[in-house]
Amino acid sequence: MAARVVVIGLASDFGCQVQMTNIEDDLLDVLGTIDLVYWQLAASGHMPEEYDVAIVEGAVTTDAHVETLKRVRETASVVIALGACAATGGIPALGATGDLEAHYGCVYGQDAAQVACGRITPMAIDSVIGVDYVVPGCPIDTEEFLVVLSRALLGLKSRVPAEPMCAICKTKENVCFFERGELCLGVITRTGCGARCITLGRPCTGCRGVAPEANLDSAIALLAEKGITAERLFERARLYNTLEEALDR
Amino acid sequence: MFFRVMDKERVPELVSGLSESFELFGPVAKGEKFVLDRIEDPAELRLDFDTTLLPPKKLFFPPEDQMMRFRVADNEVLDDEVFAAPRMIFGLHPCDINALMLMDNVFTGDYEDPYYTARRASTMIVGVSCVPTESCFCNAWGTDEVHWGFDVFLTDIGDRYFVSVHSVKGAELLDQHVVTREITDEDTAAFQERTRAFKSSFTEELDTAQLPLLLDAKFDDKLWDELGERCLSCGACSMVCPTCYCFDVKDRLAADGKTGVRVRTWDSCQFSEFAEVAHGDNFRASRASRVKYRYYHKQWGYLSKFERVLCVGCGRCAKACLAGISPREVVKALEKGGEC
Repeated sequence: MAARVVVIGLASDFGCQVQMTNIEDDLLDVLGTIDLVYWQLAASGHMPEEYDVAIVEGAVTTDAHVETLKRVRETASVVIALGACAATGGIPALGATGDLEAHYGCVYGQDAAQVACGRITPMAIDSVIGVDYVVPGCPIDTEEFLVVLSRALLGLKSRVPAEPMCAICKTKENVCFFERGELCLGVITRTGCGARCITLGRPCTGCRGVAPEANLDSAIALLAEKGITAERLFERARLYNTLEEALDR
Repeated sequence: MFFRVMDKERVPELVSGLSESFELFGPVAKGEKFVLDRIEDPAELRLDFDTTLLPPKKLFFPPEDQMMRFRVADNEVLDDEVFAAPRMIFGLHPCDINALMLMDNVFTGDYEDPYYTARRASTMIVGVSCVPTESCFCNAWGTDEVHWGFDVFLTDIGDRYFVSVHSVKGAELLDQHVVTREITDEDTAAFQERTRAFKSSFTEELDTAQLPLLLDAKFDDKLWDELGERCLSCGACSMVCPTCYCFDVKDRLAADGKTGVRVRTWDSCQFSEFAEVAHGDNFRASRASRVKYRYYHKQWGYLSKFERVLCVGCGRCAKACLAGISPREVVKALEKGGEC
């Protein structure tokens, strides 16, 4: 029997769910291998009572999100975190530092009281429940998503790369941004996207999270030699990694 | 081997002629750098290149290479044939030709690799002389010269090339596509003068005679810990290295789950997973142990099997390493017994 899959979104712009629809060439084949019982972005039905795999996009920003996640964890045998918001807190987690109410007031003014009822400090979903597989990135890389989904369906071990991005970037024969004195977060960011932005001519913004094997001390030292301060590195990195403890220094 | 002389202005006609019979590759500009790429127009070929971002290994052992396709239902192998079209690389420096011969020891030796071997057998090589850059240290290993491993080698002697012809096929192709002439005493003198100038143009002479002994003696040196503190664990050094040959093998299922492809991708001994085994044990869990391993493999382990070090002094790793770790500095530090 095909695995029953649900796709749900918490606090995010649903960009990663949109990205799933961008797998045009393979989407029908994928759908042939699973029983997609709920897809929040694309269907108007209700979340079913039973399912096997939950793909969760978005960060946790309300009490309701916490309740949803707990239900998901009780029901699903496999939980996949989809995208930066779910994986690291992503953009919503920018509100995790400072005064939360002030942030809401800044955006919504007098109406702040009426939006996001039961709001809590933003966090990644693994702060609430155990997560079995992660597809990092903003947005997700469709190829990586398919690989992770197939591993999840087959019950294979999760394999999120731990190294920074420079190796794959070298295989694309990109000229290193640091040679031009420009800051690129690839040197500390988790690889796995194929250094897509850099190959397209933009420095890495760190959307895939800080690589567990990144050597931050050495990165800070070498950046200093190039006239780039640690503060600039951290400021850039926090866009997607506000909650990253490694950057708390 | 025999020698001819060819005027430099003849290169475009030679390249045009060759491109009719081969997939022709050579150094072309990419911004201010160079890459080995297909030559569609002879004007793209830049024989004045300093080095290429990736070494020629990418054409024999691509960064990602499909090994076979398979059917999931019955584990049937569907497609594992290696087709390699006739190719020519026009413009490899001595270091990179030497590097390919070091790769041959691994891929065509005890365990013949069909993917590498097929591409190697179908690829002709035209070498070209170089001018050492600041980061070059090929002179330390004797890889600044190359005596075989090419079909034709062009040595720049001013307005003409001193042409060393090494293979019958190379001789035939030259005959077919370009006008060359016999060498004169003047050409030979120019060649010798060029060689002398080349040999004296390196930034330094690295003393490597004691290196195997030093490595034997300094296995527990604090140098390795210092390098481990600097290493970014990014693996850039392995990717750009013309002699790093380690790879990972992965199976990827098609979206319908019915078929899959087995691919191999370049791997690096600097990655934490590289020496991780079942049950989660890791033989080289620390950065320092991984950096050390890279040097012990290249300058000691390979040497003990093939009597050559697994390094040609191209300087690519030193340039790619943002943390500034370079074999030249490591060798000097070992010699001095001090810090790098």
